[in-house]
Amino acid sequence: MGLDVIFDFLGQAFTDRNLMLWLIPLGPLSAFVLISFITLILWLVRQVTGTQENMIPASDHHYNDHHHPDYGGMEVPYQPDWFRVTAVVIGMAGIIWALIISWTLVFGALNDFGAGTFGSLDSAAYYGDDSHSEGDESHSEDEAHGDDHGSSADCAPCVYSDEITWMSIGAEGDTTGVVPDESTDYEIGVLLDPLNITLLFMVPIAMLGIFTYSIGYMAHDARQAKFFALISLFATAMFVLTIADNLMMLFVGWEIMGFCSYSLIGFWYEKRSAYKAAIKAFTVTRVADVVMLLGIVYLWNIAGTLNFRDILYNPEVLQMIGSTPAIIFGGFGMSAAGLIGVFLLIGTVGKSAQFPLHVWLPDAMEGPTPVSAMIHAAAMVSAGVYAIIRMYPLFVALTNPHASDPTFSAPLIIMAVVGSFTALFAATMGVAQRDVKAVLAYSTISQLGFMVAALGVGAYIAATFHLITHAFFKALLFMASGAVIHAMEHGEHHVHEHHAAHGHDDHAHDEHHDEHGHDEHHADDEHGVHFDPQDMFNMGGLNKRIPVTFWTFLAGGFSLAGFPLITAGFWSKDEILAESWFGFVAHGSGLHAMVFFVLALAAFLTAFYTMRQIALTFLGEPRTEEAEHAGLGGQYNIVSITMQAPLILLAVFALGAGFIGVPDDFPIFGAIFSPEHNYFHHLVIYALPFMENGGSEVFHVDAPAFNIIPVAVSFIVALGGLWLGWKMYGEKPLEAGEEDPLIKYLGEPIYTALQNRYYMDDLYDLIFVRPAQWISRGVITLLDKGIIDTVLHTLGFVFTVIGDFIKVMNKWLIDGVGDGVPKGIWDFGGWARQAQNGRIQFYLLIVLAAVLVIGVIFAITTGAVLAS
Amino acid sequence: MIPLWLYLMVSAALFSIGTFGVLSRRNGVAVLMSVELMLNAVNINLIAFWRYLTPTEINGFAFTAFVVVIAAAEAAVGLAIIISVYRSRRSVIPEEADMLRG
Amino acid sequence: MIILGNEIDILTFLILAPFFGALLVASLPANKWIARWTALGIGIALFGVSVAVFMDYQANATNGEFYLQESYRWFTVLGASWSVGIDGISASMVLLTGLLTPLAILISWEVSDRPNMHLALLLMFEGASMGVFLAMDLMVFFLFYELSLVPMYFLINQWGSPPQKEVKFTGRIYASTKFLLYSMGGTLGMLLATQLIGFTAGTYEIAEIARSTGDWLAASRSDAAFLGVSVGTVKALAFFGFFVAFAIKVPIWPFHTWLPDAHGEAPTAGSMLLAGVMLKLGAYGFIRLVVPFFPDVWVANVPLLGVNWATLFAFLSMLGIVLGAFAAFGQNDIKRLVAYSSVNHMGFVGIGIAAFAVLYGEAWVAEQSAIASESMVDASTALNGTVMQMFNHGLSSAGMFLLAGGIYHKTHTRDLTQYGGFWVKAPIFGGLFVFMSMSSLGLPGLNGFVGEFLIVRGTWPVFTWLTVLSMIGLLFTGSYILKGIRYTLHGEFNMHWKDYNLEVDWREFTAVFVLGIFIVWTGLAPNWILDTINSSVTLILTNILG
Repeated sequence: MGLDVIFDFLGQAFTDRNLMLWLIPLGPLSAFVLISFITLILWLVRQVTGTQENMIPASDHHYNDHHHPDYGGMEVPYQPDWFRVTAVVIGMAGIIWALIISWTLVFGALNDFGAGTFGSLDSAAYYGDDSHSEGDESHSEDEAHGDDHGSSADCAPCVYSDEITWMSIGAEGDTTGVVPDESTDYEIGVLLDPLNITLLFMVPIAMLGIFTYSIGYMAHDARQAKFFALISLFATAMFVLTIADNLMMLFVGWEIMGFCSYSLIGFWYEKRSAYKAAIKAFTVTRVADVVMLLGIVYLWNIAGTLNFRDILYNPEVLQMIGSTPAIIFGGFGMSAAGLIGVFLLIGTVGKSAQFPLHVWLPDAMEGPTPVSAMIHAAAMVSAGVYAIIRMYPLFVALTNPHASDPTFSAPLIIMAVVGSFTALFAATMGVAQRDVKAVLAYSTISQLGFMVAALGVGAYIAATFHLITHAFFKALLFMASGAVIHAMEHGEHHVHEHHAAHGHDDHAHDEHHDEHGHDEHHADDEHGVHFDPQDMFNMGGLNKRIPVTFWTFLAGGFSLAGFPLITAGFWSKDEILAESWFGFVAHGSGLHAMVFFVLALAAFLTAFYTMRQIALTFLGEPRTEEAEHAGLGGQYNIVSITMQAPLILLAVFALGAGFIGVPDDFPIFGAIFSPEHNYFHHLVIYALPFMENGGSEVFHVDAPAFNIIPVAVSFIVALGGLWLGWKMYGEKPLEAGEEDPLIKYLGEPIYTALQNRYYMDDLYDLIFVRPAQWISRGVITLLDKGIIDTVLHTLGFVFTVIGDFIKVMNKWLIDGVGDGVPKGIWDFGGWARQAQNGRIQFYLLIVLAAVLVIGVIFAITTGAVLAS
Repeated sequence: MIPLWLYLMVSAALFSIGTFGVLSRRNGVAVLMSVELMLNAVNINLIAFWRYLTPTEINGFAFTAFVVVIAAAEAAVGLAIIISVYRSRRSVIPEEADMLRG
Repeated sequence: MIILGNEIDILTFLILAPFFGALLVASLPANKWIARWTALGIGIALFGVSVAVFMDYQANATNGEFYLQESYRWFTVLGASWSVGIDGISASMVLLTGLLTPLAILISWEVSDRPNMHLALLLMFEGASMGVFLAMDLMVFFLFYELSLVPMYFLINQWGSPPQKEVKFTGRIYASTKFLLYSMGGTLGMLLATQLIGFTAGTYEIAEIARSTGDWLAASRSDAAFLGVSVGTVKALAFFGFFVAFAIKVPIWPFHTWLPDAHGEAPTAGSMLLAGVMLKLGAYGFIRLVVPFFPDVWVANVPLLGVNWATLFAFLSMLGIVLGAFAAFGQNDIKRLVAYSSVNHMGFVGIGIAAFAVLYGEAWVAEQSAIASESMVDASTALNGTVMQMFNHGLSSAGMFLLAGGIYHKTHTRDLTQYGGFWVKAPIFGGLFVFMSMSSLGLPGLNGFVGEFLIVRGTWPVFTWLTVLSMIGLLFTGSYILKGIRYTLHGEFNMHWKDYNLEVDWREFTAVFVLGIFIVWTGLAPNWILDTINSSVTLILTNILG
């Protein structure tokens, strides 16, 4: 043991691509560990040396920005600038490391195996009798690292993977055969197959953008080092989740990500809204996670393993799971696969913010904007959908939504219904938001609904495609909106300084105060900040002030709206619609029809609120003085560069990423971008083989043939929505103080209900949060202190009473016997001591008497002796 | 020759007088003197028995000499006690010196 | 163990050395620095011995059997002997005890009132716990089980918190009395049961009775009568005696109400050892004695209820998980919040033991012919998870009490609502507190997850609905942990504490750091200890065959 093991591992890992997978999360993880340790060491050094130089008054401008109160000048610990720079450098190094290794593997895999063969299953080799027994595949860490699973031509399957033993459960030396043998050892490993290759392409580049953006966005925050540590851990978790080859490792990444999102949403923990949102996010997702844990546990129980390939690519196992009645609800015809699917689905509903567990996501924008981008795009919500896609063969076990007589398992039906409902539901809430980030938050929920609904009708490739494109344009949109907010805050600073210079007070904008007073996000009031830089109605005309942000926002927004042909969002959304239309028309499936029409309506609303947002934010004339002075501090400012460069990078992907998945029979575009075949489709299809009902046959789902109707619908809803938005907000931009024209059309009550999210938060508060608090207090006061302790105290009281009775008895007994004997002795002594009167003559008299008596006795006895 | 019992009678009378004195006198010095009487009665007794029973041995005579010495020492110690009691109690009456009372 | 060429009974040394250490510390001159460093030195040395024993066990023991066994004549009238030995389960517990004691000593440096006695009692408690974990004789087990109460009683009674004004049933006197009376009351039945077993089986050797070669189990396979009473009745009585004694100690709902009082009022080091070690004595008793001794009673029906004992036990554990979590969520007292989290976490230990017991019992009743291999996987997983959970709870609850006690020591209040925003002034404390909380919450990647995952895996096929219900508890684990963080660290800084130093000092930092190493290590690569535990778990399972 020792360093040589690590060097050996690294040496092998850089040459063997199976092992290289382990290195991906190592970069961000090392960054997290390094930053944390430097923080600790810095603190320790200061403890030892006793210096106070790290303390500055909280009102100092280094520490105090609008997120921190000044605490009346109290001294607070502060990290030196060099350390913050170091933390940024370490964090960036970590993510760049992950990017380099990920892309090496991604392109290496495509190169080694070739697109189209990567991940494909030579069924004879793959499902042969012995070729895939667990024992052959697995090897422990210290042996046989050299065996390549897939660098040769006859790879089966063509993936990169590696496994190590993680937990030993079962007997090693048992000879009786009763106790499970080593095959129950739990192994964890890494896997690169065509499904996660797509994520491994998207995630690091999106994260690199987010990290770069954070440099500028968090530049003025005193806790920048902590931010980079946490966001590195966030990235680690996402990479662990992505490369996991088993469900438990996926769950590990899943939960750590939940923790990181909690920490980062509540990053400005002094704000009430921030920590409340953090707790909400963690609690709501945990509701789902504990259910998902049950699903994982059940799967492990019934399949004996959690390895993806051992379960999902194994027809016997799927057949067995699919035909076994579930351990609970089995009486209702639920199969084990169905129950596991529902459990896992609930996990996704929480993580990917589907109805009814979507409530945490809109609040999650309380965190710093890079975190929102991370959660909404690159990592957290994508993870939820990814988990379903990953386990998709299990979800459809023994059913086939693509068959001419489509069958749907229970989780699939739930997915279709919940997904399409969420897509529409969230879109309706999105149209009435005032906060620039809230609109995006609802659009995320809505777009995730698209993916889940697509999965519900079997369109898993379309869902994967939309997952990737959505991640790009949503990360772009969030960061652009962050830039907008930053620019507005800049303007606010400017206005304040300007007013201060002219002797005005800070409340020059009280007229805006009433206008957005009902916005619950506006919790800054308690710090005396009266201007909401996130309210779109305070903006306008920003296109001339931050042009780069405007153009990139436009690219992202159009992609979100599905602007035809030139945006990525169009191609992925179109594919979802095409697949559901195909199922409806070709097989007459009602579920497909429902998904198609609901999603089309949702897409229309999406385009509408996107245009509304663009128009309100960027177009027209500035509606406030702050917007007038908005800016990022000059063209060559570090903040300006680090915040806008990632936007340009992501804008390229937001527009261009769609062209990898253009259907090959699409007019003109198909010929240009997919001369051979639809590349994306062709790649991902090999990741998830469908099992025919009997289980032995593997088949792949082909993309539906080109059909003009869904494409036309895509055109109509996207362009129609954008047109309507333009008519209402763009053609005649709103004046300062003018109210939302939407109120006229919808009516005040509906508008207010939409803004307040249909009052679902209040409802949940009423039916879940409050009762939980009552129960908690009840458990203590009624149950523990009331009943149990009362029983104990009563018991104690009874014993005390018995004791008292015994005490009375004892009193008599002790006085009579126990105390009586000593008392008698005492009394006797008192009587006898009267003889000791201290008079010597009296003593002598007694001596005389005694001598006389003894003399008399002696005389008598002697006399008797003599006489005899 | 005077018979032995006459000596013994004198000795017994003297001892009785001494005993009576010890028990009845209220003055500590008189008590001490009475003790001397008792000792001398014993001396007479010892001398008488020596002379009449074992005149060739010296032990009776030696005993008497011891008793005389002890009587002298006892008188010295007794007087010292009486004086110290007198100093603390302003009295030479034994009945009042009852510090030994239990 | 052979040290420098001499055969040394290291286990007896491990039991007795802390007592001699305690004597030494108690008799040192009343200079607190001498006492502190001496006690710490003894604690660290004993930790070194525990590690050595653990590693020796890992390296040299075969198939999870008892290792380093020694037996001396001790109580020949009864037939009891001084027998010690170690297996994988007790090795992990010994390691835990050895680890937590020096940390508790380090933390108790803050005590300046009679420090010698305080430190001596901590060492005495270590000795008693070691005795329980290493005993291979029922009488020795019972002796140390009772002995462990003594130092803890005095720690709470003498160094605990004063009672709150105007509130009945609070304060150290109430808490310590409740703790002592409750525990002693529970062990009365255990003493009887011990004698009964010893008399019936003719031996007090735990391994021998468990191996079912003695008359004890043989007699009960046939329905021979014993003293005019049927063997079944005798066994049920003995079972019940053990059951109550250990259920109080674990604690299983509803025998848990001593715990919040004792943990809440105890001094920091006392809380650490109470939660970290003492609760494990009960769980260890279940695993070591009750399950192997009474396999058939576990699957026998409870009178009047119509379910078997194991199901009842699992049901009570589930209530402990759920109600413990609710109660923790309802607390505004930080130490009581952490205390109730122990009820919640030890509930998982309980349900794991129940799942193991029912599978073990069914297999034993069925004998070899009908043992299903799948159910043995479940049993093995459940028990592995249980022992892991015991070890992990020891680490994380000790850490939580350490930090909660630290903040109580600095602010002199345990009321969460008076805290607020401590992160601003104490960033390191904040980081450590969040870390410990996440370990307690069972965040994957840290230790707590491994045990809970295995337990849920093991119990799911056996007690499906109870497992589902206990998920409510797991959910609320998150809620109360977040509540603790929210009131302590989040929000605006409460200016009342403006001039207080709230940051951890080097002792707290060191202690949490040491715990943190084990927490992360166990979370990322649990096999370093799970392997050892598993070997003995497997052996217990093979014992079914007789």
